Amino acid sequence: MWQSLPELGTGIVYAILIAAAYTFAVALAAGRGRPRLLQAARLGAYTTSALVLFAVLLLTYAFVSHDFRIRYVAHYSDRRMSTAYLLTSLWGGQDGSLLWWSLLLSGYVTACVAWLKGRYRELQPYVIATLMVIVGFFAMLMLFAANPFETSIAGARPDGEGLNPLLQNYWMIIHPPCLYMGFVGCSVPFAFCVSALVTRRLDNEWVVAVRKWMLFAFLFLSIGNILGMMWAYEELGWGGFWAWDPVENAACLPWFTASAYVHSTMIQERRPMLRVWNVFLICLTFFLTIFGTFLTRAGIITSVHAFAQSSIGTYFVYFMGVILGTSLGLMVWRLPELKSKGQIEAVASREAMFVANNWALLGGMTFILVSTMYPKISELWGESATVGPPHFNRWMGPIGLIIFALMGMAPLFGWRKTSEASIKKAFRAPLIAMLAMAVLHAIFGGYFGYPPLVARDAFYPGLVGTLIQKTGSALPGITIALAAFNVAVIVQEFVRGVKARRTVADKRGEAESIGLALFRLIEKNRRRYGGYIVHLGIVSMFVGFTGTAWNIDRETAMVPGDHYRIGEYDLTYEGSRRCPGNSKCSPEEQADIEKMMIFADLKVVRAGKALGYVHPAKFIYQAQPDGPTTEVSMMRSLREDLYTVVGQIDPQSKRATFQFHVNPLVSWIWVGLLILMTGTITSLFPELSFGEVGAWSYVRAGAGVAAGTAFAVWIAMAPSMAFAHERPANSHVGTQMTGLSEATLQRRLPGTGLGLAGFAGLALGSVVSVARRRRDNAKSSRD
Amino acid sequence: MTDSPRMRVPRWAPPLLTLTVAIVVGNLYGVQLVVLTLAAGALLLVIWLLWNSVQALAGESELTFEEAFSLGARSAEEEQKRAVLRALKDLEYERSVGKIGEDDFHEYSARYRAEAKRLMQTLDENLAEGRQQVERELERRLARAGAKSAEALEASDEAEANTARLAPLEAGAELEEPGINAGHSPAPGGLQCSACQAKNEPDARFCKACGTPLLATVEGSP
Repeated sequence: MWQSLPELGTGIVYAILIAAAYTFAVALAAGRGRPRLLQAARLGAYTTSALVLFAVLLLTYAFVSHDFRIRYVAHYSDRRMSTAYLLTSLWGGQDGSLLWWSLLLSGYVTACVAWLKGRYRELQPYVIATLMVIVGFFAMLMLFAANPFETSIAGARPDGEGLNPLLQNYWMIIHPPCLYMGFVGCSVPFAFCVSALVTRRLDNEWVVAVRKWMLFAFLFLSIGNILGMMWAYEELGWGGFWAWDPVENAACLPWFTASAYVHSTMIQERRPMLRVWNVFLICLTFFLTIFGTFLTRAGIITSVHAFAQSSIGTYFVYFMGVILGTSLGLMVWRLPELKSKGQIEAVASREAMFVANNWALLGGMTFILVSTMYPKISELWGESATVGPPHFNRWMGPIGLIIFALMGMAPLFGWRKTSEASIKKAFRAPLIAMLAMAVLHAIFGGYFGYPPLVARDAFYPGLVGTLIQKTGSALPGITIALAAFNVAVIVQEFVRGVKARRTVADKRGEAESIGLALFRLIEKNRRRYGGYIVHLGIVSMFVGFTGTAWNIDRETAMVPGDHYRIGEYDLTYEGSRRCPGNSKCSPEEQADIEKMMIFADLKVVRAGKALGYVHPAKFIYQAQPDGPTTEVSMMRSLREDLYTVVGQIDPQSKRATFQFHVNPLVSWIWVGLLILMTGTITSLFPELSFGEVGAWSYVRAGAGVAAGTAFAVWIAMAPSMAFAHERPANSHVGTQMTGLSEATLQRRLPGTGLGLAGFAGLALGSVVSVARRRRDNAKSSRD
Repeated sequence: MTDSPRMRVPRWAPPLLTLTVAIVVGNLYGVQLVVLTLAAGALLLVIWLLWNSVQALAGESELTFEEAFSLGARSAEEEQKRAVLRALKDLEYERSVGKIGEDDFHEYSARYRAEAKRLMQTLDENLAEGRQQVERELERRLARAGAKSAEALEASDEAEANTARLAPLEAGAELEEPGINAGHSPAPGGLQCSACQAKNEPDARFCKACGTPLLATVEGSP
């Protein structure tokens, strides 16, 4: 329709850059003694966001009108695609996903600027300026390295290449935007942090402002990461959910620092301490989001997720340099004002627990970061090392346990100082629960197929190796016992709170029922009890992760009529069928013209009871006849999943090769996500001050929360709606991983050094921080 | 922004109009025109926002009440006061669930109360100048409006008395927010309210439950 649409699009990207620059300048002026300009800056920020929206709509128009002059459109769509997938193509490739990223960032900018109205008057200009620098960076990236509106040199083609069928599935619609929401959300806390440092308003006000934004980002980082696990589990077909792929690792790094921050900020809200630490955590979280994007985009590390290599990496390196320089420079500049004025008064206090927990989270993050980057780092001295999943699994188990144990213990301590008597009282019930669970597990675990001790091979020679081997084999038992401890702690917290409420209510003469007391308890202390609910979600996830210790994995070849027994399941192979064409195919399968599907039908019987059928399959897409995809078929329950994959099917004899897995407790991870979301939303529920109480403000808050919850639940329900597609079997992660024997991996591993580095960092950090606190304590008591 | 006297278009009207047009056009001519209509709406929004921004930059737009109000930002003391009050709230909560012993509770409670009192006094001192300024301005305006200066003085006196009366009450209200701190065992040397029998801190001037002046009660009682 429009001859000049590509040029208009490029022009709009220029306009975004100019608008961001204009807003940046006006915001700076407003911050430097001309407060009346603030309104102009605010409107400038809105303008920039509206321009990004306009650019996205233009690209959408190019997609729906099949404007194949534009290279990006020609590369990622064709005329047969439905409108829904045309919209998915917006973030299916490098250039478009940068524009999409900018759109999400603009959403945050708009929400933040609107929310700031009338608040944080002195911080506002610099918040806006910082956000504009980030928007400007993405505009520059698009202009100079990845312009989504760039035209093909060869001119328009009659039809596009189409979106890779592997990307045409529900996960591609929902997984990246969720993770981006989490990533982009970390920009707002960073903007506040820079602003507080510049304006010297380093008191508590900005900390309070930032916490909710960080919590929101944390929520979406959690959802995005767990959705990634679901995708890997249901789509990749190797039987697991987390392969320690560099991009997966990059996505979970900010989660660790964000979790650390939402804890340590609570200390700063009450006491003037840990300021440098909090500032550091915010800057680090933001840096890690950009670093994660860089890993995905620049293709410096081989990964299943990596986009094609391009010059874009250089720009990210510059930007990361700017972030590092700015953050460190500002921190050093304001160091005298950031110095702690308070101190941890006792080791047996919640503050001390939070600090320890922070170090554990940071230790875990450092370990994953160093291990992920190790192949690249080792190139510096000419070695070519690969770091595989066994390495991560071996070390992350113990590190995770430390975090898990600290998570359970922290709520038992009060702020400032906890007396010996109250510690004893608080620990009694959880410890009894933990011991009881350990004993029960030892007695009955083996009977149900979940023994507390699982034999492990010794990976390293010497004492450290033996130690790791022993810890590794005891890990399932310890985790389950700690899970019981954690649940008992949370239940105890709720019981104590409800009891206290009811006692007070009784004294007042207005008796409260247990349900009402519980509701009011949570309502009055949403942050605290929302946090406990999040902990419950994490416990559920840990239980799910532990399940992998009891996995049963088998491979076999069968002809129709054969039986196979795995765990408690009896599988009978009844034959294969090709759809469309076979009379047993469903009407939907018969009507599919995009692909040919070959199903293997297996009858499942468990303990003499017929449970139905599973149908693992191979799909052959017309667009990709050489790469048949593998379709997983599962039978799920809270106890365990039966996970079946078909390898090859001989069309004549119908002889087929299968992979069967029994994965215990995996469903608890997804349940954990739902609990975590409930808890985070409880914490996030807007607090209404008496100043704005009115029916309307409740309606607004209620509507906001309802919409947020609905959205989050919708995202979480996505797997049940997924209509699957697959990666070709010859390229999926599982094959690559199982293709390497443990022995080969062992040889290539950089030895114990890397794992020890993580632990050493963790231990050193804890010792240094405790020593410092001690010194401060001693000093303050002398004073 | 949209509240200018010439065109009083409700803020929700343009987006709603764009959406309606997009839906109608979409039903008639397909998805392409939906996107195009939305894009047109976005472009209009860009122009309108930019126009307003430049106007604000040139100083031609008036300062709205909210903006003027927000110019007086909260001071650091105000934030510190909130943090201290929050810490007190937590302390009371922790005592109610038995996480902190009585001795520790009293020690910390006294420390935080002293800090809160100091901060409130600082805040009052900071505000004194502003308050006088407001009162003078009020008198001047009332006098200009034809009211008698004596009446104006009376009004301002009353206003001052009100604020003085309200300040401690507000602080008390905030402390009671957790809802589970009322009805504690009395602090050593605490005061009992004669009106409602509630226990109060030894330095309290008003009852935290009903607001009755406490010092008067103590002094007045035989």
